[in-house]
Amino acid sequence: MAKVQVLNVAVLDNPSPFGNPFQFEITFECMEDLPEDLEWKIIYVGSAESEEYDQVLDSVLVGPVPAGRHMFVFQADAPNTGLIPESDAVGVTVVLITCTYRGQEFIRIGYYVNNEYTDPELRENPPLKPDYTQLQRNILASNPRVTRFHINWEGLADKMEDSENVDPSTNISVCFVDIVLLFGNRCVVLTAAFHHDC
Amino acid sequence: MKLLKPSWVSHNGKPIFSVDIHPDGTKFATGGQGEDSGKVMIWNMAPVLREEDEKNETVPKMLCQMDNHLACVNCVRWSNSGSYLASGGDDKLVMVWKRAAFIGPSTVFGSSSKLANVEQWRCVTILRNHTGDVMDVAWSPHDVWLASCSVDNTIVIWNARKFPEMVTCLRGHTGLVKGLTWDPVGKYIASQADDHSLKVWRTVDWQMEANITKPFSECGGTTHVLRLSWSPDGQYLVSAHAMNNSGPTAQIVERDGWKTNMDFVGHRKAVTVVKFNPKIFKKKQKNGSSPKPSCPYCCCAVGSKDRSLSVWLTSLKRPLVVIHDLFDKSIMDISWTLTGLGMLVCSMDGTVAYLDFSLDELGDPLSEEEKNTIHQNIYGKSLAITSTEAQLSTTIIENPEMLKYQQERQNSAQANAGPGSAGPENSAPKLNSVMNGESLEDIRKNLLKKQVETRTADGRRRITPLCIAQLDTGDFSPALFNSVPILPSGSSMSSQLTNQLSSDSSPGQGLRPSHDAMLTSPPANSAAKGLEDNNDGVKSSLLLTSASKIEPMKALDSRFTERSKATPGVTAAISSTAGLTPLDRPKDAPSVLKDPKTKEETSSDSEDKMAAINKNLAFGKRKPELLLDGAEVVEKRKKGRPRKDKMAASMPQPFPQITPPAEREPSRVSAPPAPVAVLKLPTPSTKKAFGLQVSTEPSVFLEVENEVSVVAGSKLSQLRCSRDGRDWNTLLPSSVVTAAGSSDVLAVACEDRMLSVFSSCGRRLLPSIQLSTPVSALHCSAHFVMVLTAGATLSVWDVHKQKALVKNESLLSILSGADTSVSQSLLTQQGVPVVGLSNGKSYCFSSSLETWTLIADKGDSLVQCADFRSCLPTHDAPVSSGPLAVMQGRNLNAGRLASRLSSTPHHLQQSMTLAFLENQLASALTLQSAQEYRYWLLIYARFLVNEGSEYRLRELCKELLGPVHKSAATSWEPTTLGLRKRELLREVLPVIGENLRFQRLFTEYQDQLELLRNK
Repeated sequence: MAKVQVLNVAVLDNPSPFGNPFQFEITFECMEDLPEDLEWKIIYVGSAESEEYDQVLDSVLVGPVPAGRHMFVFQADAPNTGLIPESDAVGVTVVLITCTYRGQEFIRIGYYVNNEYTDPELRENPPLKPDYTQLQRNILASNPRVTRFHINWEGLADKMEDSENVDPSTNISVCFVDIVLLFGNRCVVLTAAFHHDC
Repeated sequence: MKLLKPSWVSHNGKPIFSVDIHPDGTKFATGGQGEDSGKVMIWNMAPVLREEDEKNETVPKMLCQMDNHLACVNCVRWSNSGSYLASGGDDKLVMVWKRAAFIGPSTVFGSSSKLANVEQWRCVTILRNHTGDVMDVAWSPHDVWLASCSVDNTIVIWNARKFPEMVTCLRGHTGLVKGLTWDPVGKYIASQADDHSLKVWRTVDWQMEANITKPFSECGGTTHVLRLSWSPDGQYLVSAHAMNNSGPTAQIVERDGWKTNMDFVGHRKAVTVVKFNPKIFKKKQKNGSSPKPSCPYCCCAVGSKDRSLSVWLTSLKRPLVVIHDLFDKSIMDISWTLTGLGMLVCSMDGTVAYLDFSLDELGDPLSEEEKNTIHQNIYGKSLAITSTEAQLSTTIIENPEMLKYQQERQNSAQANAGPGSAGPENSAPKLNSVMNGESLEDIRKNLLKKQVETRTADGRRRITPLCIAQLDTGDFSPALFNSVPILPSGSSMSSQLTNQLSSDSSPGQGLRPSHDAMLTSPPANSAAKGLEDNNDGVKSSLLLTSASKIEPMKALDSRFTERSKATPGVTAAISSTAGLTPLDRPKDAPSVLKDPKTKEETSSDSEDKMAAINKNLAFGKRKPELLLDGAEVVEKRKKGRPRKDKMAASMPQPFPQITPPAEREPSRVSAPPAPVAVLKLPTPSTKKAFGLQVSTEPSVFLEVENEVSVVAGSKLSQLRCSRDGRDWNTLLPSSVVTAAGSSDVLAVACEDRMLSVFSSCGRRLLPSIQLSTPVSALHCSAHFVMVLTAGATLSVWDVHKQKALVKNESLLSILSGADTSVSQSLLTQQGVPVVGLSNGKSYCFSSSLETWTLIADKGDSLVQCADFRSCLPTHDAPVSSGPLAVMQGRNLNAGRLASRLSSTPHHLQQSMTLAFLENQLASALTLQSAQEYRYWLLIYARFLVNEGSEYRLRELCKELLGPVHKSAATSWEPTTLGLRKRELLREVLPVIGENLRFQRLFTEYQDQLELLRNK
């Protein structure tokens, strides 16, 4: 079971002009003290057609996280308009908030975002090249789509298993480091020998 | 009999695998399949029992649902106390749930369902050990253990008082274990598996008591569960699926000799579940008929794959009732109410049925006392420890002080108790108390500005989240987030929050009481309404304006559920670590879990598992020995006593036994070695130079440099000391072997067996003391110096008084045996020397008694078995720094074995604990450790109060109070170890006041204390 439960995400400053930063007030609860930070990310989906246009607006580490209920505001700059396909600027897209622990994503919260011109004139006849200054961003805050993933929260057992599964080249580099630490200037000879073994 | 199928109890049509009624009868839990996960739901019992409650829309039906299990939930079971719920599922996990007293209802964030959770149940622990689906869980009597069984062929016993500690893993089944039941007496646990066997295990040593296979030899592994049951009188065990003459039966196994002579016959398909009524009945006495004594009998419900249910009385040859076609699919679980008159049955078809019996049908249930008498007669012990409490509850409280303590106790009990006892209203914590007087609303307004944001070394943003509630310090702050969808616009939010705050504790206060049928409490109503309004508003506008964009929305949907690939740019650093982990994690958890169960796999490779299990089993048998305290083993070897029962298993044993005679050759016997040589303690070797931190406050540091200069052929050594930055040094004519110091004195011992003592400023306080043999250990504490010589003698001097406290006392008497040595020694602040030996025993030399006294023994069975955890003070941190605690070490694991022994008679454990506590008190007294003395005294008093030992309690009070009227003849000391005895009594009295039984005693001493105070 997840050690971290997201209790609520409040979308602040919504609706707002397209250029405003995103602000999410996130409340979560943690069952036990987490030895490592959580990493939160805001991903703006630039185009429904392809993941190519996804932009990670920002990522923050959140910690330390003792057992209990916590909240913070995650603010991230608006997407880089240069990276959005012009045809996808206006209309419905998605913004995602993800949280990872020890590099594993365990929750993904998605919101539909509707970008549209406030001016009825522009709405009727949108310019060919989107005018981002006139666009309003409206996040459908009432309908979050939450997907939870099962991850290994402990990490220890995981790493053990992983070290067995990692391809040999990584193993060598690990050994190399150990040897440097252990034997100082004699590492060159030893590494050569080790390499031979592998 | 009345029968009801409450249609509202459902998991949206998905199978319900398990049902269990809460001990207090107010709610019940169901477990089964959820949408894409396992699901546990808690339901209100009232709408099942009463039609008017079912129709009353303000009475909630569903209380809570938990989607935390990742796969189908096979079993839900309430603890006997009712404060916990355990659930086990196909995700190999057992989760233990406890109710959190939140204020308001909540929804799961992001879930489409508008149904709020009226009660909050949170998972307090997850038990991981099974490698396959967990099929059944069961709480032992008195909630000492929790057992779980799994398709991994094992049964795991968990320590229910110390989750997630595992007590043991029972191996021996060679097939999927599908059912568990505890003997109501607590002596056994029985399990039934697909390997055509029913096994009974002892709780004393967790070994197999009986393996019953004959009735199951024809059985195929066709049932999902095999929930067997033990009768409430403990005399019969009834299995699930068994076969008799090719017909499905429920086999009755007699406790006496595990005989299998009887069975319940009649079901057309395999029996999936058997459940005994918790009550024992006796025939209803009809008016007019002569009251002839009838034998008490039990009642048992049997559910089968043939979709029918039968109810049997052990006094009848035929079933009391058989109900066909109650369900469309197999019956999966049965639960009786504690009253014995109601029963819930659940089925694979996703429905639940409630059966209501009358006393006329079942008979007169025996009262708990009568049931206890039966137990007492059969097993010689009563199962109800608390039975006396109930009787006491009617006692009149005579003393107002007493009333106060009683009330305090009840309050604290209420605060601790989760569900049932305290409603959410009275246990709701105040918002302000959590927030330091700042309202949550204020905090939220400024959160962005106020939150601490830093940059990590690699330049990444790091936010320290604001902790708004701590876990398990009482309860959470009001669950505003859960109950109210927080709207960003300031005004509407604040108005809603104030509503919430003002009305949270009064469900009757009507905001819009009739608005939403499913909810009881108004705040949630308004909240749900708000959500709806908001939702509709936004949605409609969105749909209006973006009708043409529906297509991309579908394309976007997948983005919600697919996990991101390592996102470019920002996460370069993460992806490297992420690269290590994903190998063994399911790629897409939800979809994997939807797959049909892969049990075939597990069963097919059970052959391979056999070998592994056998190995484990062999190891398992030896384990208890390995667990034996090392000290005890050493001791036994030393005495050369052959251990009859353990010879076979411990191979290295013969060697140490043979060697001692070899050493004592006949030639040597005539000339025994000098005792000094035998008892020679190790001496530290002389080093060229060494340093020593003597104390930190004031900071005193000692440095020794040997042979710094040679003057006229003699080598001089330098002793340098810095104290708070000021240095002094002195020279010694011989190499310094060891040094010690306290904030008052410093002592050094030299190679020439001279001991020198200096003041903290470097003044020599005593002339050099000539020791008889080289020094082995040297300690200073306060103004005391302790020397342990290699010749195994001990001396302690009081430097201030220039007097010996202990004079060359030999350790001979405690160092009995060849291989015992001193492993630890210390000197307390009061100048009491303590010596710890390698055999786990610790002694201190009492200068008043002029003898060695045993203060700790790690191998002492009393230490292992004493169970005084219930008497531990909640607010006081345990004394961990006192000499007693140091010598007893962390090994003093209060009641480490106690829970294992709880099936031994209660009075034995009680006596052990009592003896242990008295030992502790005496030890603390000898060690002159005042803090520890007080600590153990209070535990001791609490234990006496809990166990009702009035004589001891009275003597204790008498000793503490002393004579009220002064007389010359009295030898009573008003203080002990510097603690005023009457102050101690004042601390003990409130403890006594908690037990009503002692109110006379309480009043008596309370009055006398008052009297003395006024004098």
